[in-house]
Order: sequence, then C-alpha cells, then structure tokens
Amino acid sequence: MTTVTVENINYKEEIRRKTSKPLMWMGIVSIIMFFGGLTSAVIVSQGGGSFLSIEMPFSFTISTFVIILSSLAFHVGLISINKGSYTIAKISVLITLLLGCLFVVTQYMGWVALYESGVYATGNQSTQESSFIYLLTALHVVHLIGGLVSLIVVLVKTMKQKYSLDNSLGMQVSITYWHFLGGLWIFLFFFLRYTIA
Amino acid sequence: MMTIIVAVAVILVIIAGSQLLKIAELRAQSKGELIYEVSEKEAKFQGILMLVFFISFMAFFAWQMCSWYGLRLPVSASVHGVDTDWLTGLTYIIITPTFILTNGILFFFCYKYSYSSTRKATFFSHSNKLEAAWTTAPALVLTVLILYGLSSWNAIMTPIPDETDHITIELTGQQFTWTARYAGEDKKLGRSHVTLIEGVNATGVDADDENAKDDKIVKGEFHLPIGMPVQFVFRSLDVLHSAYFPHFRSQMNCVPGITTQFNFIPTITTEEMRKITNNEKFNYVLLCNKICGAAHYNMQMDIVVESQEDYDKWLAEQKTFVE
Amino acid sequence: MSTHHHHAKDFLFTYIFSTDHKMISKQFLVTGFLMGFLGLIMSTLFRLQLGWPGESFEMIEMLMGSWQEGGVMSPDKYLALVTMHGTIMVFFLLTAGLSGTFSNLLIPLQIGARDMASGFLNMLSYWFFFISCMLMLASLFVEGGAASAGWTIYPPLSALPEAIPGSGAGMTLWLVSMSIFIVSSLLGSLNYIVTIFNLRTKGMSMTRLPLTIWAFLLTAILGVLSFPVLLAAALLLVFDRSFGTSFYLSDIYIGGQVLDHTGGSPILFEHLFWFLGHPEVYIVLLPALGITSEIISTMSRKPIFGYRAMIGSMMAIAFLSFIVWGHHMFLTGMNPFLGSVFTFTTLLIAIPSAVKVFNYLTTLWKGNIVFTPATMFSVGLVSTFISGGVTGLILGNSALDINVHDTYFVVGHFHIVMGLSAIFGMFAGVYHWFPKLFGRMMNNKLGNIHFWITIVCAYGVFFPMHFLGFAGVPRRYYTNSEFPMFNEMIDINVFISICAIIALVGQLVFFFNFVYSAFRGPRAPQNPWKGNTLEWTAPVEHFHGNWYGEIPAVYRWPYDYSKVNAAGEYVYGEDYIPQTTPLGDDEKDGGEH
Repeated sequence: MTTVTVENINYKEEIRRKTSKPLMWMGIVSIIMFFGGLTSAVIVSQGGGSFLSIEMPFSFTISTFVIILSSLAFHVGLISINKGSYTIAKISVLITLLLGCLFVVTQYMGWVALYESGVYATGNQSTQESSFIYLLTALHVVHLIGGLVSLIVVLVKTMKQKYSLDNSLGMQVSITYWHFLGGLWIFLFFFLRYTIA
Repeated sequence: MMTIIVAVAVILVIIAGSQLLKIAELRAQSKGELIYEVSEKEAKFQGILMLVFFISFMAFFAWQMCSWYGLRLPVSASVHGVDTDWLTGLTYIIITPTFILTNGILFFFCYKYSYSSTRKATFFSHSNKLEAAWTTAPALVLTVLILYGLSSWNAIMTPIPDETDHITIELTGQQFTWTARYAGEDKKLGRSHVTLIEGVNATGVDADDENAKDDKIVKGEFHLPIGMPVQFVFRSLDVLHSAYFPHFRSQMNCVPGITTQFNFIPTITTEEMRKITNNEKFNYVLLCNKICGAAHYNMQMDIVVESQEDYDKWLAEQKTFVE
Repeated sequence: MSTHHHHAKDFLFTYIFSTDHKMISKQFLVTGFLMGFLGLIMSTLFRLQLGWPGESFEMIEMLMGSWQEGGVMSPDKYLALVTMHGTIMVFFLLTAGLSGTFSNLLIPLQIGARDMASGFLNMLSYWFFFISCMLMLASLFVEGGAASAGWTIYPPLSALPEAIPGSGAGMTLWLVSMSIFIVSSLLGSLNYIVTIFNLRTKGMSMTRLPLTIWAFLLTAILGVLSFPVLLAAALLLVFDRSFGTSFYLSDIYIGGQVLDHTGGSPILFEHLFWFLGHPEVYIVLLPALGITSEIISTMSRKPIFGYRAMIGSMMAIAFLSFIVWGHHMFLTGMNPFLGSVFTFTTLLIAIPSAVKVFNYLTTLWKGNIVFTPATMFSVGLVSTFISGGVTGLILGNSALDINVHDTYFVVGHFHIVMGLSAIFGMFAGVYHWFPKLFGRMMNNKLGNIHFWITIVCAYGVFFPMHFLGFAGVPRRYYTNSEFPMFNEMIDINVFISICAIIALVGQLVFFFNFVYSAFRGPRAPQNPWKGNTLEWTAPVEHFHGNWYGEIPAVYRWPYDYSKVNAAGEYVYGEDYIPQTTPLGDDEKDGGEH
C-alpha cells in the first residue's frame, strides 16, 4: 500500500487553532467533576455526623493570596505580549512561575503545621476529615504541577519571543488552566473552611 | 497427540473455509454479480427466517412458562409480599403483551418489507401525532405503576411504631454465617460493637448494658410467631452482606459500621407451607445475597414460622445472653 | 540500509504510534475484540461450573492449570472469573472497544474533518487503554488471583485481602488498570466532544448530524462527567487499602481481630461508584443505538422516523442517567423518600426508550429492507432492547426490586438490555463499516450464520435466567446445590450452559470472517451500501486527511432515502441523495417534502 499525503493543506495547524482552547475547557470540566466527586464524598461522609473541626493552618490563607497574585501576574504577561512589550512579559511570566512555586511551598508549610497540631493523614489517629484535608489539597497541588510545567514552557517561549499579538494561543491555554487552578484552590479553601475546619 | 490432531483439524477447517469463500466469490464474479450485494431472493429468505425466528421465540417462551414457571417461589408468606406480588403481576400483565407485540411487529415488518427491486420505500420522516401518542401512552401506564409502587414501598419501609405489639430481632452477618439475637422481654436490644467481640460473645454484645441482659442469641435456625410484626435490625461484622428472605419477599443489606432495618409480618407457618408446596422437607431460609467471599453461596440460616404458643415454648428454651 | 531504517520508522508510525483516527479506530477494534473474546471464554468456563457443579473437566485443567485443579473450579477462582468477565465486558469491550472504534472512525469522517482535534491525545488514549488491558490481564497471574469482589468492587470486600484472596495484589492491579483506563477514556471523550463542536465541515449544522454522531457526542459527555467520579472513588479505595485511611471502612472484625478503621462508610463508595455506574450503562448503550439508527435507516432505504425525537430521547436518557443511580442501592438502608425519588426518575427513562423503539419500528414500516448482516444485528438490537427493557419496569420499581434485587432476574435483564444490545450494535457497526475500516467487504453468508447463531443462543442463555430469578436464585453463587429449594433449577442451568458453549463456537465464525475478509475479502467500492453520509464520499484507501483536495460541503440532512417528487419519481434518479448534493429549488431540508 502506498502512502498518500494531502498536498498543500496544512490542516494540522488549522485544527490546532480551532481546538486547543475547547480541549482545555473540556479537560477542566473533567477535573471539576473529579473534585466534585471528592467534595461530595466529604459532604456525604459528614452526614454521619462524626466530624470534628480542624483549625486551618495560616499558611493556607497565604497560599490563597499567593495564587491570586500569580494569576494577576500571568494576566499582565498576556496583556504585555499583546502590546508587544516583551520585557514586561518575560518578568511577569517569571513572577508567575516563582509565585506558583511559592504556592507549593506554602502548601507544604500548611501540611507541616497540620501534622504538628496532631492532624494526621492516615493511620489510626487519623479521621476522615483529616484524611480529606490532606487529600484534597495534595490533589490540587498535583494538578498545579502540571500548570507549573506549562508555565515553564510558556516562559521559554516568551524568552525566545515566540508569541505575538495574533500568535499567543499556547499562552492563552496555559493562562486558562492557571486561572482555573486559582479558582479551584479558592473553592477548596472555603469549602474546607466551612465543612471541615 | 490429541492436541496435535485437534490443531491440525482446526487449521484444515480454516484453509477449507478460505478456499470455499474464494470460490464463491469467483463464481459470483463470473456471473457478473457482486458477492456482497443482497439479492431479492436472499432478502426474502432472511425475511422469512425473521418470521420463523419470532414464532420459535414465542414457542420457546411458552415452553419455558410451562416447564419452568412452576419452579417460582411459592405464595408470599408475608403480608406486604402479597401486595408486591400483586403489583408484580400487574406489571407482567402490562409488559408481557408489550414484549410480544413489539417484537412481533418488528419481525413481521422485517418479513413484510424485505427488499424488492420493484417496490419503492415510503418517504415518511416524522409525525407529531404518532410521536405524541407513544410518549403519552407509556407515561400514563408508568404513572399507575409509580404511584402504586411508591405507596407499597413507603408502607414496607416504615419501621413498626413502638406502641404496636411486635418482636425485635437483630441479624448479624459475618463470613459466612448468620447470628440472630432476640430482644428479650424488655423488647430492647442491648448495645453491641465489634470491639467487644470476645470468646463466646461472637457478635460483640455489650454485657454492661441493662437491655442486653435478657437478649437471646441463636444460631443455625430461628423462629418467628405467625401474624406478629417482626422488626429486623441488620448488622455486619466484616464485609457487606444482604439478608434475603425470598419466601417473605424481603431483603436488606447488612453494612459494617451502621445498622439497617426491615420488617414484615409472617402469615404462613412452616407446616402450612409444607402442605402448600407439597414438600415435606420445605424450610424457610435466610440467605446471603451480596457477594461476600468464597463461601458466599452457602451462607444460610433456617427460619421456622409457627404458632404463638410453639414460639413462646421455643423461646423459653433459649438461653439469655448473661447465661 | 537507510531505506530499511525508513521502512521501520514508517511502520512504527503508521501502524503502532499512529495519530490517524482511522488507524487508532482499528487498534481499538482489534484490542477490544480480543479482550471481549477472553471475557467470553471466562463466562463459558464459569458456565461449566454452574451447569455441572463439581464435575471435573480434565480437558480444561490442561488450559487453566491451578485455576481448575483436578478439573474443578474453586469458589474463589469462580468469583475471580465472574469479576473479570464483568470488568472486561463492560469497560474493555463495550466502552473502549465500542466507543473507541466507532467514535474514532466515524466522527471525523461523518462530520467532514481531516482528523480528531488532537491526534496526539488520541494516540495516548489508545496506548493508555492498551496498558490498562495488559495490567488487567496480568492480574490473573498474581498471588491470590485476580480481583474477586464483583465488577462493582464494593468495599470492604475489595479492601480486605483477609476477606478474599483476590483483594490482594489482584485488586491493586485492578485499581491501577482502571485508573489508567479512566484517563484513556477521558482523553478520548475530550477529543470526541471538541471535534464534533469545532471541526464540522461547511453546512454541517447540528441538526444535519447523523444520529451516530449525536450518540457519540452524548456518550462522550456522559464519560467526561462520570468517569472522573469513578476515579475519585477508586482513589479513596486505594488510600483505604494501602495507606490506612478510613473513607469506606468502619467497625470491622475479621480474621479474629478488630481493624483500626473507624468512621467510614461503604455506602459512600456505592454512591460514588453508581454515579459513574449508571451513566456507564448508557455510555455502553448509546453508541450502539446511534449505529443502529444509521443502519436501519440506510438499509431500509427510508429516512429515520422522528430524527428530532430520536435526538431528544437520547438527550433525555443521557440527562436522566445522572439522577437514577440510587436504584442500584434501594436496599442499602437509604432513606425511603430518596428511594421514592429514584424510583420515579428511573421509571421515567422508560418513556424516551419507548419512543426510540417505536421510532425504529416506524422506520422499518413500508421500507425496503436490505438484509445485510449489519441490518440483521440492528434488528436484533431492537429486539433485545425491547425484551430486556420491559423487565426494567420491575427492577426500577423499588417495592418490586426488593424481591428480585441481586437475583438472576437482574442478570438476565441487564445482559439482554445492555450487554446484548451493545454487542449487537457493535457487530452491526463492524459489518456495516468494514469497507471503511479495511477497504474490503465481509462475507454476508457467514455474517448471517453468525447472526442467527448469536441471537438464538443469546436468548437461550439469558431468557431462562428470568425464571431462575422467579425462584429467588441469587447471582454470584458458585453453586446452587447447597439449597434444596434450588435443586430443580439444575435443568435450567444445564440448558443455559449448553447455549453459552454454542454461542462461543458461533463467535469463531465471526472471527474467521473478520480475519479472512480483512486480508482476502473482495475489494470494497467507495459506497457499497448507497449511504448518504459523508464517510462514503471519502476515498476507500486510508491516508492522513481523509479527502483529497477540499472537504466536501454539506447541504442537507443525512436521511434523504427514497425521496420522491410530485410525480412519484426519485428526485435524483437514485433512491438516495448524499448530503453533498445541493438542495433543489423546490426541495426542503430535514425530511420535509
């Protein structure tokens, strides 16, 4: 069998242009359902009425501000690309990345604080709510690491000045995901605060 | 040796099959036909087969009804069971003709409208009237079934109120056995918890609880008085089980960590049921109906339904928990 | 030397790591069928035990080794086989095999796209699926055997190796395999949805989509919304099993000691599982219904009756499937009021299902039905959908469910309505689109033989199960011989087992036809069934991009079969009008005259 190629049609680029963002949105929907399943598990478990309250560590509050700031910084990056000012774009994306890393650090500090105060993730001293608080935050960080990887890619591309006003699709997809992660964290933060803590 | 012979035979069959297919294809080609095109004759033949299939299917259905329907569970031995059996019957009166008619129409159309080169198919793409009709018809039937079903369901699931005369029995499932505990004279079950399991106290009854002292624990078989509401409380010590009383049309899962409830009123004694079923050895049974491990298929307990006097006599012979 | 290297690379990227949707479709098809065949063999093995309990089959010991010591299957191996059969059939054959094959093949071809939204994610989807198949099969060979807690893997049974040996390494592999499977399924679904919404060709509005595409779209939406929840459920189970949390476990005394777990509830798992589990039924069924709609219309040379009603009823089914999961849990001690709500929503599903059936019947009415094997299997699907569907009225009604819950009545019901219907739809699809998949035709005679053996034996296997249910025989029993009341049932079981064995042999006819035709069947013309949809305008040979030159534009809905003008003549001389034919001046679209 001979291989036939379609001449003169660069359809792959066109498909990418049309579908990158929708793909990201559908991915976000499935992640929402994943966390939706877990948070409804928290609510169903609470129906048993055996929940004690746990004090939320302060560094989770810091995390919240960190991630909001990082989203803002990323947005500034996109605006400056559109305006053609690469220097600001580079700095903004770099700041976003650093804030993202800082977020992971504050999460870690939060877990340490929880552990110190006798809230354990597993074992016979753990309770369902203590397991859930670790699990939900950790799963969010797992998803955030994906976001950090995409940020690194975006940073490299910004450094190489690959983006422009009409060619910033990769950055837009990455920014969508990053905003989503921020929103997800804020949801989890308040959810945990008002159900478990 | 056997294996080799079988293998050779299989290979030969495959080769022969391939050759036959090739020949058939070439023959069709030489006649100027395409082997994958369905001729009018072939379509007619398959259409007739469709009709034959439907008739045999119905004959098969009738044959099964004659030979196997008699094996169904005997008449319900509980009050609510008579009610649900009636509704089941009503549902069958609705679904059996539906099943026969729609299948019949399907296969009849296949026979009637099989391919003919002279006929034109009718271009008929939608009809609001027809569609409205077959949306409404099932909806009406369903309304009846839902309303009747829900009223039965709520009656069955309502626990027996305290002031009604009844007995309370706790059934505990564990791999692969059942234990029954009667609430005793105070009609209250004592507390129990898995952490209290020790030696003969196999279901973890709390010996310090006043209510537990007159509780009676039985294994192997348990008895019920006829006509008396029985409130069952279910527990499980290890995995999920399901307490299934087929003759009483009753079932409830046993879930570790929580208790579940079900109640029914037995109406037919074991003796009477032996006469009804014409079977001297008939026994009511409780079986496990939720996969629970290797011996799941043999997790059973006998139930004896008898007169109040016989029941009282039997219960008096059973030891209380503290004894 | 260098050409040789190039050939190897070509081979690798054409057949193995292909990003072309048509090749990925074939990969899903072959992998799915192989898994399905294994699942079928497993069912035949445990049917031997059920038909002739305790009897020794020494022939089988040769094949099965320690699984069948002395030729007799042990109870825990029996449960392992039941579990693996269910898992393989539901997920690997009827979810990935069915959706993976036909969504991949037909979505780009029928909507007029050059490929999926992301060929790379599509390829990943297949390879995740492949890995998960391998892990699932590997679990058959680990210590303690494969997972044995039933395909629903309810904890605590699935969480405690003390309770059943299969809950050790076998269950771990099951969970890992299923997690990978879920990722695969999600990647596929994302792709399908985005492709359908964004890559339709000119003129292909949503109301001109073939019903297959509607079915695949709704299936993918169900998948994206429900599979992540199963992933969450599985994750919590992994934590309970391996890391000492207590999401599902509480107050358990097993093996002579009390476990540390407190506060969890197995009911939570059931809720999460069935929130996926019920939509999963329709993930399996909807593609089959879509395929059938297309085939019945094409082969009876008539427009599908009630195109919009068909879409509407599929949407209603898809929506309702999210609010009925509780009917699997009527007897878990749930609040009776909740039970009432679930009864209500469950029975509502009967309405759109009835609409679909009547629409199929009306489509056949006054048609001109060409009986290819695909048509036959589509008719078979309608029949099984009816026969299995009606008993749903008993099971969905909570008061009646009490007595038949978890008996063979349920086994009969869901095998007919979901198992048979879906596999019939899949067979129909394979026979119908084989020319598109392999560029060759399958043999009709063998296909017809395959159909008749399959439908006769399938009813022979599953219809009698209702009678076992009437007698109160529970499912998942290794043998019924421990209960005197079930002694007389052995006749039924022998009958069922014989039918099952013949059905297995019948499938060999299909596999022979499939393999032979793929390599030596007669060459296919471009449009062998005279279909209207776009895939038949694409060249027979496969290449990246699907169409030479421009993608054809679409001017009409896909069901203009046997359309006649006022004089009673076919409008364009033929009894079919491809979607690419522009509308005439006095013509209306969408089945209007």
